[in-house]
Amino acid sequence: MTLLAAIRPDDWNFPLFLHILGAMVLVGALVLVVTSIAADNLRLGFRTLLIAVIPSWIVMRVAAQWIADKEHVDDLDPVPAWVDIGYSTSEGSFLLLIAATVCAGIAARRARGGGLRTAVLVLVAISLVAYVVAIWAMSTKPS
Amino acid sequence: MYDWLLFLHLLAAFMLAVTVVTYTAVALGAPAEGRAMFVADRCWDVGGLGTLVLGIWLALYLDEYGFFDGWILGAIGLWVIATGLGQTVQRRTAAGETAAVATMHWLRTLTVLGLLVLMIWKPGA
Repeated sequence: MTLLAAIRPDDWNFPLFLHILGAMVLVGALVLVVTSIAADNLRLGFRTLLIAVIPSWIVMRVAAQWIADKEHVDDLDPVPAWVDIGYSTSEGSFLLLIAATVCAGIAARRARGGGLRTAVLVLVAISLVAYVVAIWAMSTKPS
Repeated sequence: MYDWLLFLHLLAAFMLAVTVVTYTAVALGAPAEGRAMFVADRCWDVGGLGTLVLGIWLALYLDEYGFFDGWILGAIGLWVIATGLGQTVQRRTAAGETAAVATMHWLRTLTVLGLLVLMIWKPGA
């Protein structure tokens, strides 16, 4: 796998670049959501979810599929564990992020957090933990 | 060993993204709140050191790459530029000069983007 990483074909580079860029913006934006919601800035948290988190998730996920198609990893039997981990964390977390965005939007509209604020923090924290696991899976590639 | 070095190197790079995203929000008009800026600045410190140390370690660990490869020297050069810009942005933002740091922040963002491009394409490797 070390050698494979070192001699990756050139036409994999652009989708990989988009995948990692999307993932980096996604994680960075999620941390900003946590810090802004924790500081009771519900409006910034909601806007970050809407403008940065959801679009970067889409870029990350579409680019992931693009490079998976190029590498033909979905055709392998069995599909490698790191690919399954990537799919399950990204798709599972998307539902959490949608729920977090709705909760943050309602909380920002009401201009008070309460239970919705806590819900956003929990949903985003779970997503962040899932993404650290995904980063581990993508880099160590457990079989 | 290689896998864990790469994982930690990537994790450090993701910490840089936390800083870039937070300062982008500030550059676009969000308030520079204490807790968010503290987290962003610490991520820049730890992520910056982590990417450099672990990146050099990776380059030395792999036989395919050498420390004096052009893309590695280029990455170190960009890292130095990003660090200089980052420290200035941190200092000026802490002093309340948020309007004055926008240009430096965007330059730092481009530099970090350049680092990612070098890491993916590895020109000359």
